[in-house]
Amino acid sequence: MKNTSSVKIDKKTLFFLIAPGLMIYAFVVIVPLFTALGYSFTDWSIGPNKHFIGLGNYAELIKDKIFWTSLKNNLIIVFANIIIQMGIAFLLTVLLTSKHTKFKALHRTVIFLPVVLSAVVVGYIWQMIYSSDYGILNAVLRMIGLESWIKPWLDSPKTVIFSVTVPLIWQYLGIPLIIFMSAVQGISKEIYEVCELDGVSGIQKARYITFPLIFDSIKVTVMLSISSNMLVFTHIYVLTGGGPGTSSMVLAQYAYNTSFVSMKLGYGSAISIGIFVISFAIVILFRKLTEVRKK
Amino acid sequence: MKYLIRKGGRFLYNGLLLLFSAICIFPIIWIVYSSVKTKEDFMMDIVSLPARIQFKNYYSAFIEGRLYMNFISSAFNTAITVIFVLLFAFTIGYALARYQFKGRNFIYTLFLVGMLTPIYALIVPLFIQLKTLKMDNQFYTLLIPYIAIRLPLSMFLFESFIRSVPLELEEAAYMDGATVWCTMRKIIFPICKPVMSTALILAFLDTWNEFPFALVLVTDDKFRTVPVGLTSFYGQYTTDYTILMAALVLSALPVIILYIFFNKKIIQGMTAGAVKG
Repeated sequence: MKNTSSVKIDKKTLFFLIAPGLMIYAFVVIVPLFTALGYSFTDWSIGPNKHFIGLGNYAELIKDKIFWTSLKNNLIIVFANIIIQMGIAFLLTVLLTSKHTKFKALHRTVIFLPVVLSAVVVGYIWQMIYSSDYGILNAVLRMIGLESWIKPWLDSPKTVIFSVTVPLIWQYLGIPLIIFMSAVQGISKEIYEVCELDGVSGIQKARYITFPLIFDSIKVTVMLSISSNMLVFTHIYVLTGGGPGTSSMVLAQYAYNTSFVSMKLGYGSAISIGIFVISFAIVILFRKLTEVRKK
Repeated sequence: MKYLIRKGGRFLYNGLLLLFSAICIFPIIWIVYSSVKTKEDFMMDIVSLPARIQFKNYYSAFIEGRLYMNFISSAFNTAITVIFVLLFAFTIGYALARYQFKGRNFIYTLFLVGMLTPIYALIVPLFIQLKTLKMDNQFYTLLIPYIAIRLPLSMFLFESFIRSVPLELEEAAYMDGATVWCTMRKIIFPICKPVMSTALILAFLDTWNEFPFALVLVTDDKFRTVPVGLTSFYGQYTTDYTILMAALVLSALPVIILYIFFNKKIIQGMTAGAVKG
């Protein structure tokens, strides 16, 4: 099938169609990609002094404890999202595609709603949920008699990383849910009908039919989750700013602090490049692992 | 009897699902109804429904807290961004979908790279670029990254849509002596309506909610958008919970209204965009 016009277009018209958008795009995305790499080889803090220090920043990065803590926290967030968020999404998919379920559209619309909210609003909503004195979470715990569970959710270094993960799971639950649901709707109804005739239980259906048949969608969703959670910033910035100490520090927050609070632009660039490389590597690694599994 | 058990089971099962959805949405509902309580009412009992409804908190947040300034700034940025994103996405998408020319694949690759690049890798160098050119902290500063960041996804939306439109109409128009511009405006543009509305809504949501660029590139109060405005607002009103809640509701309002009317389109567009990206 031919899909390009046989009509010739003159260069001038083509230029006017493409150039304005492309110029802005190149200015914001393409040029900075190269300059970021360039700055990462310098010791530039704000000011005129900028020296080329080769791989110095990267050598420092490898020894930087906060960098590794941040990476560890990012990985905790990634894994928690993959296991808990996708687990819930899968369960909901099985339930919401069952023919006994009523108000399907309502459930879908309600669960997806937080996705469209800004991360800042979500951060503050949870700030209020967690608030020690006037938070709804502690109030509810008090109401149902679980007073021993009450704690300063955003101030205890040991558990804060989980407290900041829950809002992420909550806000983006709708995305895997919708992707899984549309995958399930692509599975032929006959398969399920045959199973019902053979008396296969609901759990078995979910385990042996739904799960393997939507495995490709699950893979896509896992990759999405990795790439977005490796870069999580706004929620953390609003909820804790990485604190207390560095106990909820994540890579993007650390890059922000280094570049715009300590104003170490060279080192900040190196951290940004580091984030880019690491999240890319993880996605590729995941791709390789799941390919092997398929065979 | 068996029938009754089954019916009861289904009832219970639907009940549990409804409970789950209710818990999911409850934080938002709680913020909304608490925002019309007085501070004293709220502090006395944070869970209970408001005894009487009053909108003083909204006045305090919007007028006294000067949130309206951030609204003007956000509205300006969002409107201009959406217009330019649609314009550029349409023209570039059309050119890539319809014409073979030198450098076409290269442009394609450039836009693909942009979809894979985390914006955090761009913020520092972009900040430096804008500062050197003295383009930081201006009324138009944020438009530059907003238009660019939103462009690849919208462009691919248009490109794949235009590709699926048969060529005959355009060729007939050319036969009659129409120019490229005329064909684009009179034939292709009207056909693109469905993809236009998806691109528009998604660009609106993204731009209204954007935070990192707005935080870093603009420091002047009068150019601050709503998300950044909220962070300084929170600093000022830390203990005025009900005013804070009113501010949250206000800033989410445009997005929620859009969601109420277009949730099908939004859900579809966001997940399709997410999967492709």
